[in-house]
Amino acid sequence: MELLALILIPFLAATWLLFARPAMARGIALTSTLLTLALVLWLWYTWAGGTVIAVSHDWVPAFGMRLVLGYGGIGLLMLVLTGLLFPFIIGTGWKQPAGDPALVNALLLFSQAALFGVFMAQNAFLFYIFFELSLIPIFFLLLFWGGEHKRAITIRFFLYTLLGGLALLFSIAYLTLQTPAPHSADFTALAALHLPMGTQVWLFWTLFLAFAIKMPIFPFHSWQPETYVMAPTQGTMVLSAVMGKMGLYGIVALVFAFVPEGAAYWRNWVIGLSLFGALYAAVIAFRQNDFKRLVAYSSMSHFGLMCAALFTFSVYGITGTLYQALAHGVLMVCLFYIVGAMFQRTGSNDFATMGGLKTKMPRFALLFLFVTFNGVALPLTQSFVGEWLMYTGFWEFDHWTAFAAVVLIVLGAIYMLYAFQRVMLGPDREVSFADADAEEHFFLVPLIAIFMLVGIFPNVILHLVDGPVQQLLNSIALLN
Amino acid sequence: MSALILISVLGVVVLYLGLFDKKSWLAPIGVLGLLGAIALFATGWHIDHPLLGGMLAFDRFSTGMNIGMAVITVLIFLFGPDYYHRAKRHVAEQYALMLFSLVGGFLLTAYTDLVMLFIGIEVLSIPLYVLAGAKKHNLRSNEASFKYFLLGSFSTAFLLMGIALLYGLAGSFDLAVIGKHIAEAGSSNMLLNFGLFFTVTGLAFKMGAVPFHFWKPDVYQGAPTLVTTFMATVVMMAATAGFYRLIEGTGMPGTLARILVLLVLATMLVGNVIALRQTNFKRLMAYSSISHSGFLLLALLTLNGTAEQSASVGGTLVYYTFTYSLATTGLFILFTIAKRACNGAEDNGIFRGLFAAKPWLALCALAMLLSLAGIPLTAGFIAKYQVFLLAIGAGWLKVMGFGVLMALLGIYYYIMVAREVFVPSEQPMTFTVSPLNWVVVSLCAAAVLALGLWPGWLV
Repeated sequence: MELLALILIPFLAATWLLFARPAMARGIALTSTLLTLALVLWLWYTWAGGTVIAVSHDWVPAFGMRLVLGYGGIGLLMLVLTGLLFPFIIGTGWKQPAGDPALVNALLLFSQAALFGVFMAQNAFLFYIFFELSLIPIFFLLLFWGGEHKRAITIRFFLYTLLGGLALLFSIAYLTLQTPAPHSADFTALAALHLPMGTQVWLFWTLFLAFAIKMPIFPFHSWQPETYVMAPTQGTMVLSAVMGKMGLYGIVALVFAFVPEGAAYWRNWVIGLSLFGALYAAVIAFRQNDFKRLVAYSSMSHFGLMCAALFTFSVYGITGTLYQALAHGVLMVCLFYIVGAMFQRTGSNDFATMGGLKTKMPRFALLFLFVTFNGVALPLTQSFVGEWLMYTGFWEFDHWTAFAAVVLIVLGAIYMLYAFQRVMLGPDREVSFADADAEEHFFLVPLIAIFMLVGIFPNVILHLVDGPVQQLLNSIALLN
Repeated sequence: MSALILISVLGVVVLYLGLFDKKSWLAPIGVLGLLGAIALFATGWHIDHPLLGGMLAFDRFSTGMNIGMAVITVLIFLFGPDYYHRAKRHVAEQYALMLFSLVGGFLLTAYTDLVMLFIGIEVLSIPLYVLAGAKKHNLRSNEASFKYFLLGSFSTAFLLMGIALLYGLAGSFDLAVIGKHIAEAGSSNMLLNFGLFFTVTGLAFKMGAVPFHFWKPDVYQGAPTLVTTFMATVVMMAATAGFYRLIEGTGMPGTLARILVLLVLATMLVGNVIALRQTNFKRLMAYSSISHSGFLLLALLTLNGTAEQSASVGGTLVYYTFTYSLATTGLFILFTIAKRACNGAEDNGIFRGLFAAKPWLALCALAMLLSLAGIPLTAGFIAKYQVFLLAIGAGWLKVMGFGVLMALLGIYYYIMVAREVFVPSEQPMTFTVSPLNWVVVSLCAAAVLALGLWPGWLV
C-alpha cells in the first residue's frame, strides 16, 4: 500500500495542479513531495533486509506483464534519493521560477511519480513503462521553458533517450520470450534464464544502450551538455540528479542480473569507454567559460567514473558507486542551484561576468565553498566516502585503471576549485549583487548538513547496500 | 450473414430517407442499424459454419474485425451530423455509400474463396471512388477521386491477374485447395510466384504499402475529412483483414515471405521518413497510416500456416487496427474543429492554442497522438509491442530492429504535432465544439487509454 501511495501521491497532486491550476501550486507540490519523503523514510526505517514485494497482480498475462512493486536495498537507496531531492527541486521554484507554477510543478510531480515507479518495479515490462513515462514530463518542461534553441536540443535529447528506450524494450521482449511458457517478465524469472554466451554478448548492448544514454556514457553523451545548459534549473536538476541514476540502477538491476556473462565479457570495453569519457569531460569542463556548462560536464565526468566502478565487479566499486549516486544527486542539486542563483544576479552563465564577489556576498561564498568541498571530495563530505570506495574498487580491478581514476579525481578537484575561484575570488569589483538571502540559506544549509552528516556517518547509507551488493556479486561469481 | 443483410438494407433505407429529405434522421438510423449489426455479430461470436457455398466463413477473427469496423463506423456517423451541418443535398448518399463500403469490408474479413476476395474489394472500393469526390466543386476532391479510381482500377486488374494465375495452378478459387497446391508446388513454380505476386500487389495497394502508396497522401488530402477518416480507419482494417485471410489460406511460401519482407522494409522506411517532412496534417496522417501498414505487414510476415500462430497474429491485427482507428478518428474530428477555427487551413499549426482554449480536448489529442506514436500506457504501445513480440518469436530479429528505428522516427512527428497543441497561438482562438463531437473525441481518447491499461479486454 505504501508503495502504491508513493506513486499515487505525486500523480494525484500533479493531476490536481494540471486541472485546477490552484494559486498555491508550489505549496501543494512541496507538501506532496514532503509526504513522499516521509513515506520513503518510513520504508527505510522499517526495512529489515532482503527484497520486499508489496504489490503483485496480473496485468496482461499474455505478455508476461505483471504489476509487481517492491524494493531491495539498492532500490530503497534510489527511492531515498528521489524522495530526498524532490522537495529541494520543487523548492527551487520559489527563487528561480521556470514558468507557469501550476504546470511546471505538475510536470515535475508526474516525473517524480514515474521515477518512483522505475525504482520500485520488479517486472521488466513495468520498469520499461515507468522508464519511458519519466521522460515525457521532462520533455515538455524543456520544450516550453528551455533556453536558446530549445526545440532542436529537446528533440535531440528526446530521440536519443527514446532510441535507448526502444532498444531496452526490444531486449525485454526478447528476454520475455525466452522464459518458459507462460511467459513472465518478472525480474526473478528473467534473472533465472542463464542465456547462452552468444546471445548475452549482443543482448548486453541492447540493454546497456538505454542506460548508457541516460547517464550518459561516452560516446552516447552528445545530447547532454546542450540539454543541461538549455534546460530550466529544475529540469536540469531532475535530469542530472535523479534521472541519470536510472542508468546506474538499470545496470545493477537489469544488466548484471539478466546478462551477467555479457557484462563480464564487455567489462573492459565499458570501463575503458567510461573512463575515457570521464577524462574527456573533465578536460572539457576545465576549459569552459560557462558556469552551467562546466557543471554539466562535471556531471558527465562523475557518471563516467561511477559507471566504470560498477563494472569492476568488486564489492568496493559497486558499493562506492551506489553511495556516490546519492552524493552526486545532492551535489548536483546544490551546484545547479548555485548556477541558477548566480544567473539571477549576473544575467549570464559566463565566468567573465563573475569574479571578485567574495566580499560583496560573503555568506553566499561560504555556502558555495562548502558545496565545492563536497565537489572535490574533501574528507568528511559525502563524496569523499564514495570516491574512496570506488578508488579501492579500481585498485582491486587493475592498478593502471586505479591510476586513471586518481587522475580523474585530481582533475575533478582542479576544475571545481577553478570554478569557485573564477566566480568568487579575484580582485574586488564594484557590483551591487545581493548576498544570499533567507530563502537561499533555507535551501542550501539543509543540503550541506545532509552531505556532511552522511559523510561523517556513511554507514547509514552503506548498510542499505552491503547485503544486496554481496548477493549480486555472489550470483555473478556463481555463473562464472 | 444476417448482419451483412442488415447493413445492406440499412444502406437502402438511408437512401430512401434522403429521398424524403429527412437529413436529421440519417445518422441516428445509421447508428441504430450499425448497433444492431454489432449485436448480431457479438451474439454469434463463434459462428463457424461456411456461408454462400463455402465462400464466406465467419470465425473469431472476422467477427472481431467486423465489430471493430462497425464500431468505428458508428463513431464516424456520430461525427456526421456536425460535419454535414451546412450541406444541403446528397447527405444521405454519403452515409449509404459508407454502409455499402462497410459491407465490402465485412466480406474481406471472412472470404475463403478468391472470387469473394475480388467482390469484397470491389464493393469496398467503388463507393470510395464516389465518396472521395463528394465535394463536387472542389478541385482537390475531384483529383483525389480520379486518382484513386485510376490507380484502384489498375490494382484491381493486377489482383484479377493474380487470381487467374492462382486458378491456373490449382484449378479452384477455394483458398484451402490453393493452399494445398502451393504446399505441393514448391517455390520454384512460376505460375505460383507470379500469381502470388500479383494478388499481393492488389492487396498491398489497398493497404497503401510502398511502392503502391502514391495514391494515399493525395487522396487523403483531397477527400472530405469525414471520408478520409473512413478510409484511414475502416478501409485500412478491411484491407489488413483481406491480406491476413489470403496468407492464412495460402500459408507462407518462400516467395511470399521474400515479397513481404521487401514490402515491410520499404513501407516502414518511406512512410516514416517522408512523414517527417509533412506540414499538412492530412498528408501527415496519410504517411503515418503508410508507416502503420508497415507494422501490420510485419505482423503478417510472422504467419507460418499453423493455426496457433494465425490466431495470435489475427488477435494482434484486430487490436492494432482497432486502436489505430480509434486514435485516428478522434484526431480527424479535432482536425476538423481546428480547421474551422483557422478558416480552412490544414497545416499542423492549426492546433496551436488548443490547450489554452480547450484543455480537455488538448489532453485527448495528446493521448491519441501518443497512442499512434506507441508510447507506453496507451493502446498503440501495446499494439506495437505485440507486433514486436510476434516478430521476435518468428525470428525476424533484424527486420524488427529496423522497425524499432522506424518507430523512433514515428514518435518524432507525432510529438511535433503534440507540441503544436500546447503552444499558445498568437491571436486568441475560438474552437467551436459540438457536444456530440466532444463526446466522440473523449470516447476515442478514453478508449485508447483504457485499452492501453487493460489490453486484456481485446487481446
